[in-house]
Amino acid sequence: MKQSFQAIVVGAGPAGASAALAMARAGLDVALVERGNFPGEKSMFGGLLHRMTSLEELFPDFWHRAPLERHIAKKGTTFMTAESSFHVQNETTNFSRTPYNGYTCFRPRFDRWLAEEARKAGATLITRALVEDVIMRGGKVAGVKILREGGILHAPVVVAADGVLSFTALKAGLRRPKFNVGQMAVGVKALIDLPKEVIDDRFGLSGDQGFANEYVGCTGGVRGGGFLYTNYDTVSVGLVVHLGSLRDSGKTPYDLMNSFLEQPQLAKLLKGGRLLEYSAHVIPEGGYDMIPELVGDGILVAGDAAAFCNATGVNLEGINLATHSGSLAAKTVIAAHQQNDFSRKGLNHYKDLLNDSYVMKDLKAFRHAPHMLHIDRIYQEYPELVCNMMEHIYRIDGTPKSSISKLLLRELKEKVGLKNALSDLFTAWRAL
Amino acid sequence: MNIDEIFDYTSFSIDREPHIILDPAICAGCRQRGCVNSCPARCYSYNEAEGSVTFVYDGCLECGTCYIVCDRNAFTRWRYPRGGFGVAFRMT
Repeated sequence: MKQSFQAIVVGAGPAGASAALAMARAGLDVALVERGNFPGEKSMFGGLLHRMTSLEELFPDFWHRAPLERHIAKKGTTFMTAESSFHVQNETTNFSRTPYNGYTCFRPRFDRWLAEEARKAGATLITRALVEDVIMRGGKVAGVKILREGGILHAPVVVAADGVLSFTALKAGLRRPKFNVGQMAVGVKALIDLPKEVIDDRFGLSGDQGFANEYVGCTGGVRGGGFLYTNYDTVSVGLVVHLGSLRDSGKTPYDLMNSFLEQPQLAKLLKGGRLLEYSAHVIPEGGYDMIPELVGDGILVAGDAAAFCNATGVNLEGINLATHSGSLAAKTVIAAHQQNDFSRKGLNHYKDLLNDSYVMKDLKAFRHAPHMLHIDRIYQEYPELVCNMMEHIYRIDGTPKSSISKLLLRELKEKVGLKNALSDLFTAWRAL
Repeated sequence: MNIDEIFDYTSFSIDREPHIILDPAICAGCRQRGCVNSCPARCYSYNEAEGSVTFVYDGCLECGTCYIVCDRNAFTRWRYPRGGFGVAFRMT
């Protein structure tokens, strides 16, 4: 097997495959290294692929070429308690026109497709290859070591796109050995089988329209939320819970998941469905404050490995940031080859490109969002407040009605306390 | 959903050797045991009689939770399974 390349990309997820694709199209001899039997075999996400302008640059007819399930035509948020729910939703025909605003998809198919495009463009795809270390030469990263007999690959530059725990970035000394448990979440997901017609009827969809819904109040008081995304003839439903909060609660993700699935209003939506697959993965939710060193001598970090994940509480963006950072890493590597300079200083251009892009601009703009998500009352008291209030407003029981402002004040005093409510409002205002 | 039936839902190609190995001495002194409740696949269990934590790697989803929640770095090994082994998501 060939062992020397002009660049090595570790991890054939969205960040790595985008990087390898752009490099290969520019004529670089690039290796795309993946630990799974095929790209995407190890990939897990909630199910919502936000619009990726960087992939639209590579594929102007992206939505025709990529293996996608449905485009997102409507988005909703549900405040939930064990018995009640209050739902708000936005739907517009604008979201059913190209370029679509987002999609549902399956990662084993999507990642495989994107990596295959990189291979077709000339990248060398090496699967079943777990990178266990970086090779250093003269203090610079000069390749990677693969966990197998004689598994050594050389290149003057490596892109670490090996996911949230990035051991490649760790071995290169770019990320700290210990993660902060307060900056991490875990997503668990159940894939439920339902006929397409049933999904269309239950969620008010037609053709390849899809629905993306987020839930608050469904995590038993643990910081986090729920999600439901419609695929073509399956539904992805699950929870994202913060690891510090989960650990301290003593609760288990699967018990929380079962309570969520059994909540009466959600259970109706999933009735008759059969569980097809269960999956889980850690998410870097610390935002701007947890970004590792992005550049070293002979190495760049992209995607989840760089903690490029924007959890604002409204959207949870990751893959769009990953593909964009992968493309920018590729641009940097291409320029580095022209200059023949792979030093930290030479590769620092990557940071300038990131800073000028929405990736860093959004992460900076929402750098306080993780603080807001640490308000524990969001996950129980406020959803209860909303649901209780709506029940009072709608209930007709032959007694005189209170005004909505009085109701709100009473509920706030009872559930949260006015001082807390003001402080939470301030935190939320600052975050968003 | 019954987590004990995980092998009915999710596919695995199980390696001969574990990819995560615990240091029993460190785990024996741990009172937090966040791994036991936080692992989404129930791979960790606590034996009260022996005061020990065990990890069964067969049904590991390779999610990374234990790596994050363990404050004591109780792992003498924490890596992903060798190339081609471990969890194999089909659709998800």
